[in-house]
Amino acid sequence: MKKSKDKSLIRVFMVVMLFVFILLFVYSSLNLKNIDYGYKMHELILREKELKEEVDKLKAQKASLLNLKRVEEIVKKRLNYQYPRSDQFIKVFENK
Amino acid sequence: MIKINKKERNRAFILFIVFSIWVLFIVYKLVKIQVFDYTKYISKVKSQCNRIFSLHPKRGTIYDCNGDVLAISIKTKSAFLSNKDKKESMKIYRLLSKKISLTNGERKNIKKRINKDRKFIWIKRKLEDREYKKLKKIKNDLSSKSTLGFVDEYKRIYPQKTLAAHALGGVGVDEQGLCGIEYSVDSLIRGKGGKVKVLIDARGKIFEIEYLKQPVAGKDIFLSIDSSVQFFVEKELKRTVEKFRAKRGSVIVMNSRDSSILAMASYPFYDPSRIKYTSQRVLKNAAVSFLYDPGSTFKIVLASSALENGVCYPQQVFNCYNGIFHIKNRTIYDVHPYDKLTFEKIIINSSNIGAARIGLRLGKEKYYRTLKSFGFGSKTGINLPAEEYGILNSLKRWSNISVAFLSFGYEIAVTPIQMVRAFNVIASGGYLIKPNILKGVDRIVLPEVRKVKILSSSTRHIMTSIMIEVVNTGTGKQAKIEGIDIAGKTGTAKKLKNGRYEDCYVSSFGGFFPAQDPRITMFIVIDEPKGKYYGGEVAAPLFKRITKRLLIYLNIFPELDKRNEIRI
Repeated sequence: MKKSKDKSLIRVFMVVMLFVFILLFVYSSLNLKNIDYGYKMHELILREKELKEEVDKLKAQKASLLNLKRVEEIVKKRLNYQYPRSDQFIKVFENK
Repeated sequence: MIKINKKERNRAFILFIVFSIWVLFIVYKLVKIQVFDYTKYISKVKSQCNRIFSLHPKRGTIYDCNGDVLAISIKTKSAFLSNKDKKESMKIYRLLSKKISLTNGERKNIKKRINKDRKFIWIKRKLEDREYKKLKKIKNDLSSKSTLGFVDEYKRIYPQKTLAAHALGGVGVDEQGLCGIEYSVDSLIRGKGGKVKVLIDARGKIFEIEYLKQPVAGKDIFLSIDSSVQFFVEKELKRTVEKFRAKRGSVIVMNSRDSSILAMASYPFYDPSRIKYTSQRVLKNAAVSFLYDPGSTFKIVLASSALENGVCYPQQVFNCYNGIFHIKNRTIYDVHPYDKLTFEKIIINSSNIGAARIGLRLGKEKYYRTLKSFGFGSKTGINLPAEEYGILNSLKRWSNISVAFLSFGYEIAVTPIQMVRAFNVIASGGYLIKPNILKGVDRIVLPEVRKVKILSSSTRHIMTSIMIEVVNTGTGKQAKIEGIDIAGKTGTAKKLKNGRYEDCYVSSFGGFFPAQDPRITMFIVIDEPKGKYYGGEVAAPLFKRITKRLLIYLNIFPELDKRNEIRI
């Protein structure tokens, strides 16, 4: 009688322990996942920041390349273009 | 049943005691750590894995009216020395100094700070990319890596270099606006810093982020300036100032309809990224802060006032006393003597005596009221710092002959921005409109500025026809372009130096076109040109050259019914 009572107690104890273990396992794995997401989030934030900085640098570079003084120099020196003389520009209006 | 003897029982008892002491010790330690020393250990843990960082806001970008970048901030690195050992720091500094460009003053300063045993020493702020790469390589080769460090900082870039420098202004080393639009909209464009708390692991990797204060990025600013217009205005201005070896020059190009500034140039130019090496004289934006006596360009204000008040009318004849007119104990001269001139011819030929006579007929009260309504003696309110008020004496301080001298632009000091606004009153159909350079903030277009009608349509029409004649047959002939009506007025004024008018001049020209339906109002000032000095010879040709380019660039041409061909 006493032995069977002990056995059932042990079984209850085992079930409780198993439940506690599963609970702990789920809790810790969720926590670990959370931390993992934290790492990923930070990586993405850093990447976003880097990309934004890259965009700004490219914007600045583009604007520097489009510097009108530079463009004029290229057009004049490399392409040998010249401004039209005053008598070379004629605006002709079409008849309506 | 197992029998336990006394010896074994004693052993078990001792073991129990030892075990109990061990357990009690652990419990004691746990309670001590968890309860009594809780705050001490929690702060230790926090200091090891919690970090709070300040987040620097990015300064907003400045664009022109076409969306081209005029100023932008990009992230760079700044290098510093953590001076723990003087000898070691000096050794590292010598190694670094060969790899980066530093001025002699900066080198001296760094050495001085190392010798004074300062713990934190800036080596160079806002390094170039290639400089950072070189220094990073040096840091990796160092035995004590912590001596040399880097921090992230923003650096202001002006990709168009000197273009629109005076309008843009510049920023200091901490990205604070120092002058120009950078200064006047600093609170908008600067943004607000934030704070972030992060949790880091044993390897120093961040795994949790909490914003204590969200950073607010600076707003982007859109200016009314057009880079292309600004470019050729600056080019032509430089050519004129250099040709006449003038002290300085300024050109303002304005949209006649809404008074928005398309170009604002002041020569000598400067590079906004080298603002700390630029003298105060060069930094001064002549367009808003150069005070001068306007001379004959001011006659358009006088004529407008006389017509508006009904004291003069077209074709009215005035005696011009053959070039010499005595008033009280002063004498007024004309460059070319005239016997009699009509009201229009006085403006067209720019007769000082004729203007004085109109002024005397008008009377000081009426003239003063007009000057106030044109906004002289007060700031225009343009969004640029260091704007001068100009000098307009109160009516009480006017002498009996003040009105005569004020009629041809003396005894008053104005700025080029005030003059362009005055010319634009006629161009815009009689409205006084506040000049504006700020078009929008963060893609939100700012509302149109308020217009105040100060001249009637008839006055405006008469004034326009007089100003067209100034360019066609009068003193402004060198601004004439075949096929397009330009309304303008020349000005040549002596400069007041040490209380006396000396033989150095300010040449100016103001005008608008196409005269019948104005799109552009422009004002030019050339300070102390050498050789030629008349406004019609110095400023008018510059007006013509800029106008030619504007006509093509903005595709401004009059209606077909008048002409079928324009030669520019």
